[in-house]
Amino acid sequence: MTLPKFELHRPESLDEALDILASSPGAVPIAGGTALIVDMRGRRLSPPVLVDIGLIDRLSGVRIEGGEVVIGAATTIAEIKESDLIAQHSPLLSEACGLFASPSVRNRATIGGNIAYASPAADTAPPLLALDASVELASASGRRTVPIDRFFLGVRRTERRDDELITAIRFPIPAEGTEGRFRKLGLRRADAISVVSAAVSIGPPADGGRRVRIALGAVAPTPIRARRAEEALSAGPIDEGAILAAAEAAASEASPVSDLRGSDWYRREAIRALVRRLLRPVVEGRSDG
Amino acid sequence: MIGKVEVKPLPKVDLPPLRQVGRPLRRVDALGKAVGSTVYAADFSMPNMLHAKVLRSPVPSGRIVGLNVDRARSIPGVACVLTARDLPGAKLSTDMPGQTGRKERAGSAAPVLARDVVRFQGEPIALVAAEMEEIAEEAIGAIELEMEETPGVFDPEEALKPGAPKVYGDDNVVARWKIRKGDVEKGMAEADLIVENTFRMPFVEHAYLEPEAGVAWVDDQGVINIRVCTQVVEHFRSVAKALGIPQNKVRIRGTMVGGGFGGKEDVTVEIFLALLARETGRPVKLVYTREESFVAQSKRHPFVITHRTGVKRDGRITAAKIDMIADSGAYPYLTPYVLLYATAMATGPYRIENVSVDSVAAATNQPFTSAFRGFGGPQAALAYEQQMDEIAKAVGLDPLTVRRANYLRRGDETATGQRIASEVWLEETVTRAIAGLGEPTPSSKTRKVGRGFASYFQSYGRITWFHDTSRAWVGLELDGTATIRCGVPDIGAGQANSLCQIASELLGVPLERVTVYATDSAVTPLAGTSTATRQLYMSGHAVHKAASAVRKNLLDRAAVHFGVGPDAVDLADGRAFVKGDESRSIGLDELASPCAADGIPLSTLALFTAPFTDGIDPETGQGDIWPDFTFGAQAVEVAVDIETGQVEVLKSVACHDVGRAINPAAVRGQIIGGSHQGLGYALMEEYIVKDGITQTPSLAEYLVPTSCDFPATEAIILESGSGVGPFGAKGIGEPALTPAAPAVANAVADAIGIRIHEVPITPERVLAAMKRGARWRG
Repeated sequence: MTLPKFELHRPESLDEALDILASSPGAVPIAGGTALIVDMRGRRLSPPVLVDIGLIDRLSGVRIEGGEVVIGAATTIAEIKESDLIAQHSPLLSEACGLFASPSVRNRATIGGNIAYASPAADTAPPLLALDASVELASASGRRTVPIDRFFLGVRRTERRDDELITAIRFPIPAEGTEGRFRKLGLRRADAISVVSAAVSIGPPADGGRRVRIALGAVAPTPIRARRAEEALSAGPIDEGAILAAAEAAASEASPVSDLRGSDWYRREAIRALVRRLLRPVVEGRSDG
Repeated sequence: MIGKVEVKPLPKVDLPPLRQVGRPLRRVDALGKAVGSTVYAADFSMPNMLHAKVLRSPVPSGRIVGLNVDRARSIPGVACVLTARDLPGAKLSTDMPGQTGRKERAGSAAPVLARDVVRFQGEPIALVAAEMEEIAEEAIGAIELEMEETPGVFDPEEALKPGAPKVYGDDNVVARWKIRKGDVEKGMAEADLIVENTFRMPFVEHAYLEPEAGVAWVDDQGVINIRVCTQVVEHFRSVAKALGIPQNKVRIRGTMVGGGFGGKEDVTVEIFLALLARETGRPVKLVYTREESFVAQSKRHPFVITHRTGVKRDGRITAAKIDMIADSGAYPYLTPYVLLYATAMATGPYRIENVSVDSVAAATNQPFTSAFRGFGGPQAALAYEQQMDEIAKAVGLDPLTVRRANYLRRGDETATGQRIASEVWLEETVTRAIAGLGEPTPSSKTRKVGRGFASYFQSYGRITWFHDTSRAWVGLELDGTATIRCGVPDIGAGQANSLCQIASELLGVPLERVTVYATDSAVTPLAGTSTATRQLYMSGHAVHKAASAVRKNLLDRAAVHFGVGPDAVDLADGRAFVKGDESRSIGLDELASPCAADGIPLSTLALFTAPFTDGIDPETGQGDIWPDFTFGAQAVEVAVDIETGQVEVLKSVACHDVGRAINPAAVRGQIIGGSHQGLGYALMEEYIVKDGITQTPSLAEYLVPTSCDFPATEAIILESGSGVGPFGAKGIGEPALTPAAPAVANAVADAIGIRIHEVPITPERVLAAMKRGARWRG
């Protein structure tokens, strides 16, 4: 099957890209194209203008900047998986990138694209939610940063305006002693869309409790944070009782749909299992557990 | 869990020593595939070629009330648009192709293009040929199609009820079979226990790597040439019939096939291409997308199978009453034969005196179903092997003891009364498969380990009342190389290579000096279909016969040369030599010259005929149906995650008696591949159709196992030498798949203590079954 007709721009600078986005109605940025091209082939999307951001140097790579980890939007999932900086500061994101689709897709797909596409099942979203990441947006008229938990508005709907480009994802370097993990449940071991995914990040004990983040994918119109589950763990000891309460809270916070990959009933069951399993080793590996 | 088994030594088998056959030689087709130089059907292009597209029905049941192609025809670059009105009466023959000597079943044909009524989503309605693929697509979009949806029927049981919408004939019954053997009532009365279970299987997609593709053109003799990936070059007859032209005016040039599994046994793109090439006088290419391949071609039959088995406390079965319902989809295709297969195999490889089987296939407004590796055998095995485990549970014996009490033995009769002449190595294969699992993996609190196994039998070779034949031409060239001409479609299983290895053995020509021309209906002698696990058996024999004739001439002439008797001469390594005194030898190239000078033929065309029988008795199902059977078993160990329901295959061992492995590496490949496909059938593959509309339209929704999902199955190859194929070979292509799924189903039941009566055994089904089980136990 062929692609619908489109005009292709390949700007070499960010400013040029932003100008095109500002001046071409319906223009859509394209990086890896692993989702967009599939939708275009299936005639679900027919953007008149594509803006390939792959030639813009500044948009890819992982760096540390002012106490934050900054990942260029056009950084591929494979690059993030291999990044020592990411492995050091956010192993849960490394884990998620290792379970993302298949090697050939990971070599093309980018983190910006995965976020921009806003699938409820996007595998980088729960780790980024658990890391308190924010999304950097640029347009010809200015720049802004949106916390990722306010970035997703609905299935395939985000804060990004049509004239904006995601330029980077950034998150604070987690405090020493923070533990984080990611798990996904798919219907096969590779190249499977998540039926349920979950990420947890638990900070060291501090005055007034600890920082706890529990994020879920594929169980609501957007990737979500399970805030009540987080609260169940933020004060007091993290024991088996607290873990079960958190798992239960997470299941109740989800609003999963029934689709080909699983019923809402099954997804809630799977959330319980995943959250329990993510939390137990975190607890076992700690002295305050 | 299955305990330790004792593996007894194999019975002594006297296999004659061979030089080429039996060695894991590098297949003649291996290099091209490894380096990407093999040319597949979609790789061909021709000058001045048009590109074709097909308009297909978006609805599963409806009437065409408007079809206007004027706008499509007027698009610049569109060469041709065809609808049913342009091809009056053109029918697509869907019955068993080839030289069967049987008449086509009445009512088995389907329209080439739907004219008034549409019976499934994806049914073809119009054809377009244009200068570019993009233009052809645009033209498809410009066809004005107006349809009125009509009530459809989407379940075979519903389709059989009075008043159901009519899809086929007066009652939607596409086929019925029955088996009546002994006295089932008496057998049930003698039983200590009666065990009843119903098992369900879904639609399954072939999902071969290569979607259907072809290029057609009319040559300078007015012959329509079609280069296409197909399992059946003899479809040139169906094409000729559909176009109303003589059979010798259609030539199928088959290509290497990127996977068939039965899905390329029916006509795919051939008739569309022939029509467009004839209409335009230009070469035309048509390549299905994956999504089109899904809706255009057949699926594995969904079945509902109910077993009612009478059994003694010691595990002996006294009677079996089996009911089967299969979904034929919108048109008959090979459904009657698939249903026959499942019916005849319904009891499994067990000796049962009293048998009653009733089967029916009903038409629905769903994807049509036809051949798929195993041909109804895998569905039958999923039922009979799960039932055997349930019987074992009911009588409190282990599953192997129950099977041993009932296994067929050589000389026994099948449920249809066919006497089994070859070795029946059920005990030999099952004990080796189970023993191959080794030490059990321990369970943990949330990860329950279970083991299961399945025995099976599958035929090889076609139904014997089809009167099957194959032909091969074998010749020695003057330089001592050998050429084979045999119309065998190679669907990736090593069909062509096996022929080369057999010729190499008999002519003493090294394998790399043998060339095979296969799969061209005009220039290679017709060898029949690459289906039914028949090519090694049929064409292997044909090549054997032809090569043996050439061999005899060479031996005779060499004997003259050496001044000895023909029995004193042998052929190997490109030479003829005196046995026991290999210093007296002559190169085959040198030997070819005097043969040519003396007019001794160095080539032969041979015909091999399978046993010819009459049909079975329609009232009792009694009679011979196949040439012979392959027997084997598979054992697996699984771990079930009781919190997520995920099933992980930890170990898988398959053991098959292949009679004689012509190329053990190729046999191993068939076993591993067939097993992987069967494991996918057990755990993930399901082509979901809702109200006639596919819910799994692409490989994103329809999941097939990747290389990460299962461990490679350990293949244990046994050689009884007792098969009816060349050198005592049996067949392994289809059998390799059959035992995998029931073995997994039994292993899961062993792990969680609950039987899940349908495949695929998805995580959700596992978890739901465990919840139900917990409530019952509550």
